[in-house]
Amino acid sequence: MSDLDKAIDVQNLAVGYGSKVLLQNLNFSVKSGEIFVILGGSGCGKSSLLKNLFGLYQPLSGDVLIEGHNITTAQGAERQRIMTSFGVMYQQGALFGSMNLLDNVTLFMEEYTQLTRDQMNLLARCKLDLVGLLPYETYMPNEISGGMQKRAAIARAMALDPKILFLDEPSAGLDPITSADLDSTILDLSKNLGFTFVIVSHELASIYSIADKVIMLDKDAKGIIAEGDPKTLRDTSKDPRVHQFFNRIMSKDAA
Amino acid sequence: MGISDSKSSTLLAPVAIWSQFDTLRAQVTLSGAVNVYSLASVWTDIREKQNLWLGQGNAQAHSLIFDASKVSSLDGAGFAFLIDVEQAQQKAGGQFQIQGLDSKYELLLHEFDPVSHLFPTATPKSKINFISSTGMAAQNLFEDARSLITFTGHLAADLVWSVRHVNQVRWGDFVNTAVQAGIAALPIVGLVSFLIGVILSFQAAIGMEQFGAVSFVGPLAALGIVREMGPLITAILLAGRSSAAFAAEIGTMTVNSEIDALVTGGLSPIRFLVVPRVLAGILVAPILTLFADIVSIFSSMLTMQIYGIPFINFYNGMLVAVDLEDILSGLLKATLFGVVVSAMGCLRGMQTGTGAAAVGVSATRAVVSSIVMIVLVDGIFAYISYRTGF
Repeated sequence: MSDLDKAIDVQNLAVGYGSKVLLQNLNFSVKSGEIFVILGGSGCGKSSLLKNLFGLYQPLSGDVLIEGHNITTAQGAERQRIMTSFGVMYQQGALFGSMNLLDNVTLFMEEYTQLTRDQMNLLARCKLDLVGLLPYETYMPNEISGGMQKRAAIARAMALDPKILFLDEPSAGLDPITSADLDSTILDLSKNLGFTFVIVSHELASIYSIADKVIMLDKDAKGIIAEGDPKTLRDTSKDPRVHQFFNRIMSKDAA
Repeated sequence: MGISDSKSSTLLAPVAIWSQFDTLRAQVTLSGAVNVYSLASVWTDIREKQNLWLGQGNAQAHSLIFDASKVSSLDGAGFAFLIDVEQAQQKAGGQFQIQGLDSKYELLLHEFDPVSHLFPTATPKSKINFISSTGMAAQNLFEDARSLITFTGHLAADLVWSVRHVNQVRWGDFVNTAVQAGIAALPIVGLVSFLIGVILSFQAAIGMEQFGAVSFVGPLAALGIVREMGPLITAILLAGRSSAAFAAEIGTMTVNSEIDALVTGGLSPIRFLVVPRVLAGILVAPILTLFADIVSIFSSMLTMQIYGIPFINFYNGMLVAVDLEDILSGLLKATLFGVVVSAMGCLRGMQTGTGAAAVGVSATRAVVSSIVMIVLVDGIFAYISYRTGF
């Protein structure tokens, strides 16, 4: 893979808090247009890694390059430029509670584009339509379910049409049909518009249907224990931890 | 496309060009990277030209071609632009044809079919007339009063319970709250009391000096401080600090369904959360008031030095004017203020709606309600004092 093909390049990254190291020696890259999934058991540092990738947390060491720009060292205007080149959906949605769904999506457009109010509203309605929430545009976040809040958060993450989207557990808490619809939207955006997705997920069904590539993290190994296509890993991995995860084997049975 | 060039594309050639062949035929040609940044400069311009063109002659005979064959990349804003142009054409009854759109984009475009639902018709907001809004306000007031009475009843019952079941009260929470509301409030109570003592004495001395009665300022100020100013200053500071804090804390717990978890676990939120806070309020309010009284009287003594009233004269005058009953009366009132302020904070916290904004609203309501209740209690207490002499 040439550097031009790399949407995200992670080099010798160490993730943690203070003196506590969660993950170390991480080296991987995400190809442009790829759906890249980060897997691992609870507490292994998936969400922390994601927050290091999009620059919310400063890594203990190492570099994260977003489309060739180092987000860990960027400052001021350059950092802001990098930050607006991707969208983020947080695990709990993190919608602005005082705004309706339409205003949540248009907020970043108001700040970063020269579009008129009508144009922003139309664009925001398109985003809400993509995630199936157009009829709820005037609803406040507290008036919709948790799953709908997640979908609205995805619409907000797409507001500025970023080429990279970071999604933290998008399918968790969604019913199977909505989850499948969301997977279909992610696939459409990736295959047709070339969006790059970095997704933290536990949902195996979703992972098998959308992921081009996965990395699996492990709390004890403090790093990546498997990397590649999810179905291949499920069928061929000799690592018992990977085998157990992909085949949903209970701990007592694995032991 | 990299980060920097995606946003500087407005500096390059326009990504959409309007071409009008004659009064009935026109074309929009898209080219290059069509995104939210590159479109901003041309979107409005092209739509205005389209409207102008559609206004010429019979709109139904107007045919618009949307040429997307030169597009290198198209994102959500590009689709929105296309839909906007198409909708305007359809609304006017004109013809619209897309040419050269890559099949992958066509697939996504179908996701928005029919595009008309992206243009909701604005429904006028229903206006509430004066009578309705007055009725609603009155209803809210009655509901608020009802919930206050219900809450007071529950709280009274649970306070009695706490006396009978001393070991089951959450004393850990009580101590934490007492430290936060009491010890942590000492500096601000001290500062405000000191300044109030100075101001009160100065203001009184200016007036009394005209009658040659400066020596009476000390006893007057001391009496005013122990009976009224000390409890009032403390209560208002408690309302601003602790009542708001209780409302925010319990409000956040309400938003996070922690109150629901207590209820479904068979625990009374009032017993669990409110009782320790109200007991802490009962403890700290009189102690803080006593502290405020001492600091205020001391600052008043210092101020009167300027008018040539020595400490000993001030002290002797104070002993004549202020007796133990006055101090106890102030402390009893402070205790009632402590109950009211902490209870109002907890009540508003438990009434919190959903969302982060609701917590802010609860904190504001807690402070406002506490101050209203302080004034109300003060008024009732003044009447009782007048009737009983206490």
